[in-house]
Formats: sequence, C-alpha cells, structure tokens
Amino acid sequence: MHEIRTLIVDDSSVMRKIVERSLRQAGLDPLVVHEAGSGTEGLDVLRTESVDLILSDINMPSMDGLEFLRQIRAQNLAPGVPVVMITTESSEEHVKQAILSGARGYIRKPFTAEQVKERVLPLLNAKAA
Amino acid sequence: MLLNGVRKAAIARNNVADKNDTEYSMTVSLRESVQLVSDPRNLDASVEEVFRLMLGVNCRRESSAPEPEAESVTAVVGFGGLLSGACVFRSGARAALRIAARMTGMEFASLDDTVKDAIGEIGNMLAGAWKGKVPDLAANCGLSVPAVITGRDYNLHVQAPEFQLHHIYRFEDAYFEVTIVCDGLQ
Repeated sequence: MHEIRTLIVDDSSVMRKIVERSLRQAGLDPLVVHEAGSGTEGLDVLRTESVDLILSDINMPSMDGLEFLRQIRAQNLAPGVPVVMITTESSEEHVKQAILSGARGYIRKPFTAEQVKERVLPLLNAKAA
Repeated sequence: MLLNGVRKAAIARNNVADKNDTEYSMTVSLRESVQLVSDPRNLDASVEEVFRLMLGVNCRRESSAPEPEAESVTAVVGFGGLLSGACVFRSGARAALRIAARMTGMEFASLDDTVKDAIGEIGNMLAGAWKGKVPDLAANCGLSVPAVITGRDYNLHVQAPEFQLHHIYRFEDAYFEVTIVCDGLQ
C-alpha cells in the first residue's frame, strides 16, 4: 500500500505526538511522519521531503502557522498538498484567515481522533483521485 | 513581571492578526457583555471539554484542595486585545505527571520538559476554549504562547483585576486550579 507522508508542525512535541496518534487511529497506515517545531523548520522539511499532507499549529513563536502557509505558497513548496490548521483559535475570523492563506481544513484544539479523521481523509482521497 | 511579558506577547500577536480588521475591532466592546465574559460556567465547561477530549477523563469542580505539594507547575497563557489578562493553570507535581501521562501514554518520574510541554498545552487549550465561549472574545482576543513555571513555594499576584475566576477541579485523586485574570476590558 502507498505510504502516507505527513508533516506535523507544532512547537509542542506533545501535541505533535497526539496529532500523530490521532492520524494512526484514523486508519492512516502506513504512515510516515516528519515533525517540525516551527514554521521555519517546516519549510526546511518541505525543501527536502515530499509529503501528502501538512498539519500545522497556528500559534507558534518565530514563524506562526499562517505565515508558514503563506511561505509554502510563495516559495511554491508542496504544490497541491492540502494543509490543515490545528489550533486553539476558533472564531470565524481565524478560520477565514486560514482559508484565505491557503488552508484546506481547520481543526480546533481540543480535538478527537474522529474529528481528525473527518477532516483529513476527504482531503487525502481527493488528492489521490 | 511574567504576566506582563506574556500579556504583551498576546497583545502583539493580536495586533498582527487583526491589522486588517481595525475598523471592526474599534466598534466592538466587551464592556456590555462583561457578565457573559465572567460567567463562571464558561470556565467549568472549558475545563470539562479539554480534559474529556484530550485526557479522556471527567473533571469535577471542588470547593477546596488538599494541602499544596511543595513542588508545583504553573502554565500562563496571556490574553491581548479586547480583553487583557491571563489564563493560569496550576497543579502539584503529582497531578502534572498524571496529566502528562494521560496525554502522551507515557510514564514520567519528574517534571521534565515533556511534562512542562504537556502542561503548557493544557493551559493553551483552556485559554482558547474559554475565550471561544464568547464570540466577540474569540474573534478579538489573541493568545500568547504558554509560559511554564516549576518550582517550590511561589505565588502569582495580580493587583486590582477587573475580574478574576479561580476554580479548583479534580479528576481521580488529582487536583488542579485554573484562574482567569482580567486586568483590562475594552
């Protein structure tokens, strides 16, 4: 089976592990996970690795998730790869900002594995089609 | 001092996020909805939601806590924008280790970096869930990244807040406190 290569960007290593666990519980298997602790590190990963899905926090020091998203598009890294934002910010305005910046999905913390599955699987299926 | 730094970070973050929404922000005021903002049920619901979804446990509000442990951990997440202040999570070492274990599926013997990271994220999610209960607050109040403090025999003081909520909660035999301090409301 084709492996699913994922980049998880969050300044919290605990949250990165929780997101990875949620993806595995969602049935994404085999799963290859690249981790980054900031937007800057995430861009570095995308310069060397090919991924199928990016999940990123918004509220991070140095380069936040929205700027990370803009830089992905500006530098034409990971073209066509869906980006899902995972964040504590939940207002319509924040969702709108994320979508305008190029995000394809939005998951609010705290979340369940089922919510991750609902947001992520349609994006992966659409990409594979 | 710490609260000021965290709060300034949240204000700066909110200013950047809302730089295109200045006109809208200027027309919104939380003064008229202070009762809603300071409703203690919002804090209880936020705690219940975060602990149920991230740890799989039910929390119960308590009227008092047992004698504090000497070693404790505190996570501070600042609010900036229409409301300035902070969300403060505090627990003894035993509860912090239990929370980190529940979140990660790992066991911990001391308040190491992973435990502090986990407690910081709990603070972050509590702050986000709490402000998300009031739509104007969700849209016009930024959060700082969490600051985590560990140590023995320390206290945090805020002078003359606009309002303050301080609740004690328990899951299993682990106790923790969550405080919302608001020292500015527009």
